[in-house]
Amino acid sequence: MCCNDNFQERNKGERNQDVLDLNDINGMQFFDPHIHMTARTTDDYQAMVDAGIVAIIEPAFWLGQPRTGVDSFKDYYSSLIGWERFRSSQFGIKHYCTIGLNSREANNEELAEQVMELLPQFVFKEGVVGIGEIGFDDQTAAEEKYFRLQLELAKEASLPVQIHTPHRDKKKGTQRSMDIAIEHGLSPYSVIVDHNNEETVKEVLDRGFWAAFTIYPFTKMGNERMVEVVKQYGSERIMINSAADWGISDPLAVPKTAALMKKSGIGLNDIELVSFRNAITAFGQSGQIDEHDFIAIKNIDQSQKFASNSILRGGQQPRIDKNSIIIK
Amino acid sequence: MVDIEKKKNLDKLFQQIIQQNLSSDAWAWLADKVERIKTEEKTLQLNLSFAQLPRMSGKNNLIVQPEDLAEIATLLPGFSLQGWTADRLARVWLLMQLPDVDKMVYLKKIKNLFTVAEMNELVALYSALPFLHYTEEWISTCEEGIRSNIGTVLEAILYHNPYPAHALSEAAWNQMVLKAFFNEKDVSQIPGLKTRANQALAHTLNDYVQERLAAHRTVHQEIYRLIEIGK
Repeated sequence: MCCNDNFQERNKGERNQDVLDLNDINGMQFFDPHIHMTARTTDDYQAMVDAGIVAIIEPAFWLGQPRTGVDSFKDYYSSLIGWERFRSSQFGIKHYCTIGLNSREANNEELAEQVMELLPQFVFKEGVVGIGEIGFDDQTAAEEKYFRLQLELAKEASLPVQIHTPHRDKKKGTQRSMDIAIEHGLSPYSVIVDHNNEETVKEVLDRGFWAAFTIYPFTKMGNERMVEVVKQYGSERIMINSAADWGISDPLAVPKTAALMKKSGIGLNDIELVSFRNAITAFGQSGQIDEHDFIAIKNIDQSQKFASNSILRGGQQPRIDKNSIIIK
Repeated sequence: MVDIEKKKNLDKLFQQIIQQNLSSDAWAWLADKVERIKTEEKTLQLNLSFAQLPRMSGKNNLIVQPEDLAEIATLLPGFSLQGWTADRLARVWLLMQLPDVDKMVYLKKIKNLFTVAEMNELVALYSALPFLHYTEEWISTCEEGIRSNIGTVLEAILYHNPYPAHALSEAAWNQMVLKAFFNEKDVSQIPGLKTRANQALAHTLNDYVQERLAAHRTVHQEIYRLIEIGK
């Protein structure tokens, strides 16, 4: 989640001149299981598809400021399964989402009650691969209440859960989230604990949960640290994501980290697990992920364009020459 | 917009095609849900089953016998199941089973489905417009759909859907046709394109042609034909 408060940290230090070379990861496929595309531009979609990202999950979360009415939630959830999914498909990227009431807005109890009434209408929608992102922010009583209610909903709908762990007091918040999930009878194998770091990963894995790592500059993990985590803990039940949003974040975090892992001598099988396969295994428990769709989404869109006689080459959306001063 | 007798025949025909395209389990599930939807006061079964339907029916392309296609074309000119998937027809048929005795309840239930629909649901909902009761009540819904920029949703209104030509005002119709050209849709699939050509549309299209030419862009040949008819 956004944003980078520490500008000093952002601007200090040497700049690393290593440049991403897409040839290093040529032919590899990536799955980013946490990215907020509503906050991103079409340039990002194009860069993502060029870098080998074939599918993404967009978790429902807050919008940088609190919503004041239930209809705003309704429209937001609708946009995740509607316009944003279509936008993504135009670039040949398969778009899934998780639906939930985020922890920050759980603190507005009057509104939260109404959102809880709304959620059952969305959990069975096509391409909804889990309840998320839910969990703790300030670790208040209201946050706990709606976290528990949503865990029950996940259980009833047999859907995986995507847990957001707090920025502050992270270790305790992560432990508490896992305790509560177990208390509600969820299988750790159906729960993805997100935004891990070196302090939390061991316990998350030991207890049988999935451990997701967010590669996000300045406030979360850097990818050099991530390389070390994989060297130490291996690739079982570990996945990486960008959590790119409106903060200074990087929608190419997954392919970049894969490239860095390759340079650092991590095996291709491990790279594939943490940057593609594990996310599919975990969220695929929803029954909503069919890998054939990763290819179909490219073919279908192209044929649609051909049928309407658009002259398009090498992709779904017409390319513009970014370096040209002329805009046609 | 379709008389009661024809609607009954279409209902029967659709049911037959659905049964041919669904597994027996999926059909049993659907038939059971329809019974519940017919009797429930609230919307729980309708909302759940409408969303859940593709999981049961699958999303394969419909296989329809040529004689059935021909009969459908006679019953509802302009309409066609061409390019439809099994879930799309099953959803439309499901909506056709919704009791319409209480007008306000009927409208409210279906309009609520529109407000939380994902893309494939929207496709099915707009495809159902010719078969819904209270034809006049869906005009603003249809106009809203024309504002969609989601390709498949717009196509569900444009292609082989006789509702717009039947129900839309001249202004809304013209807006739809202009948008179809603007979004490079296949206008040959729009029922009523020629019969509803009009002078106002000819003027608008003429302006559009001038604009395209000034921008050194190409102009679809069909635009010139429509301008000619509408003059």
